[in-house]
Amino acid sequence: MDALMDRRGGLPLPHRRFAPRLVPAPGPKPQPVAPTGTVACKGCNRRFVTERYERALRVCSLCGYHGVVPATLRATQLADRGSLHLADFSDVEDRDPLHFNDGVAYPKRIAEARAKTGLREAFMVARCLIGGNPIVIACMDFGFLGGSLGSAAGECFARACEMAVAENRSLVAVCTSGGARMQEGIAALAQMARCSQGVSGVAAAGLPYISILADPCFGGVTASFAVQSDVILAEPGARIGFAGGRVIEQATHDKLPDGFQTAEFLLAHGMVDQVVLRADLRDTVARLLGVYSR
Amino acid sequence: MTRSPTKMAEQERAAFRAVELARHPGRPRTLQVIAGCFSDWTELHGDRLFGDDLAVVGGPAFLESPGGERRQVMVIGQEKGRDAESRALRNFGMPHPEGYRKAQRLMRQAAKFGIPLICLVDTPAAHAGIGAEERGQAWAIAETLITLLELRVPVVSVVLSEGGSGGALALAVADRVLGLEQAIYTVAPPETCAAILYRDAGQRARAALALRPGVATACEIGLVDELIPEPQPGAHVHPEMVIAALRGSLLRRLDELCAIPIEELLAARRRRYRHAGG
Ligand SMILES: [Zn+2]
Repeated sequence: MDALMDRRGGLPLPHRRFAPRLVPAPGPKPQPVAPTGTVACKGCNRRFVTERYERALRVCSLCGYHGVVPATLRATQLADRGSLHLADFSDVEDRDPLHFNDGVAYPKRIAEARAKTGLREAFMVARCLIGGNPIVIACMDFGFLGGSLGSAAGECFARACEMAVAENRSLVAVCTSGGARMQEGIAALAQMARCSQGVSGVAAAGLPYISILADPCFGGVTASFAVQSDVILAEPGARIGFAGGRVIEQATHDKLPDGFQTAEFLLAHGMVDQVVLRADLRDTVARLLGVYSR
Repeated sequence: MTRSPTKMAEQERAAFRAVELARHPGRPRTLQVIAGCFSDWTELHGDRLFGDDLAVVGGPAFLESPGGERRQVMVIGQEKGRDAESRALRNFGMPHPEGYRKAQRLMRQAAKFGIPLICLVDTPAAHAGIGAEERGQAWAIAETLITLLELRVPVVSVVLSEGGSGGALALAVADRVLGLEQAIYTVAPPETCAAILYRDAGQRARAALALRPGVATACEIGLVDELIPEPQPGAHVHPEMVIAALRGSLLRRLDELCAIPIEELLAARRRRYRHAGG
């Protein structure tokens, strides 16, 4: 921890008071009756007036916990005001190669996720400016089937990469995902290669690619485009890795070290470039692109 | 579509038997394939960063045609081990980050010498553990994928018996991907899929039926190009026969790929993975 503090110039790190939960609490948590117009922090349970919580970008002022941000809101938070234009990928078709049914047919699950999130897929892609720099931004939505990577999501990301190359824009991806979408089987695995191909194209064009890792980010997403960027930024407390902590604990019976797989842990192990407070993400991306693209 | 519970249960058992067959200890393993297909193979160890991962083996060799013509190749593969001792030593074929970084080193070496790369896939998954995460398992796999996509020599991969998760894909991004007929190639091992989909690893047979893990499924979506036939009931009854067939396929594929100008080959590889998985 001392080393981390030093690296950040000894600045107070309010989020450090939040000890990330490694193992999800079993079963549904008893929910206190919510006063209307308030929202509870998932880190400390403190309630905030919704408006104030949103203004704070869904970051708890008490414990620093960074709450989940859906894709469109995320893009709005990062983009220069009024610059965001969603890409129309309505022709991207979803597939059900296995005719998968685990009690609910997979196409029905997709339809439910669409209704719930208002998105077509786990990826939302848009053109925007960040600090005046032209960007293609690709944001994942954890609310859409756990941000899982299936063939339609993979196609969205591949198109985002091609759009960046065609229009000479930098690429920014906000990654939050449980990994490959199991319901699509081997076709989901192939998306890791498809997305990597997209990143390779952006790199060949000499364009900057910055990835922002948000809680949680695992599996085939981390093991492909999320970490193939020029700069990897991570939000405080975000859990990031290949295999989930619970899986590792069950498989190895080892006790997980404190803060295992958190953004801060990965920074200490040399795996991410910076842990950045959500409020500072926009400026950090703008500053980096200002240097890279001139 | 309604099916009787007994019939479903029987189908699930059959699906899992296919998984067990693919994991049969008598199937051709990577080192056995290397011994049977190549000559003068010299094993190269270590990733030059942390250590040597015995779940991944690799080194340069010759692939000899029946006419006696010798072709230089770089061979990299995942080795599961044969008996209790070697299986433990090789971590059941589940690589750590240093295994993927050793593979990257040898891939770059192949490109330096302009010799084709042959990857042999045989892993249930990349290792899940504390050390693997600390040393960047996801980073190692992601970098291997990019290395293969951009590698300026022909690449042929073979799914020998079991290809599971990004840990397998990391050695299976290639110009041509072959698979032994009864191999499985899956997004994750059926046990893991069951844990994720049904929150119960015990329902692995159900996952095995639902996921159609046979390599033929990967062939249908274009991730695998050619299936190498196996004798009944599987390669374990005549491994040498299967290895000989595989060697023939490798020779044909290398002849085919080495005749293509490298820029054309790379463009075709890019197109292939741009549309991977439909
Ligand atoms: Zn809080």
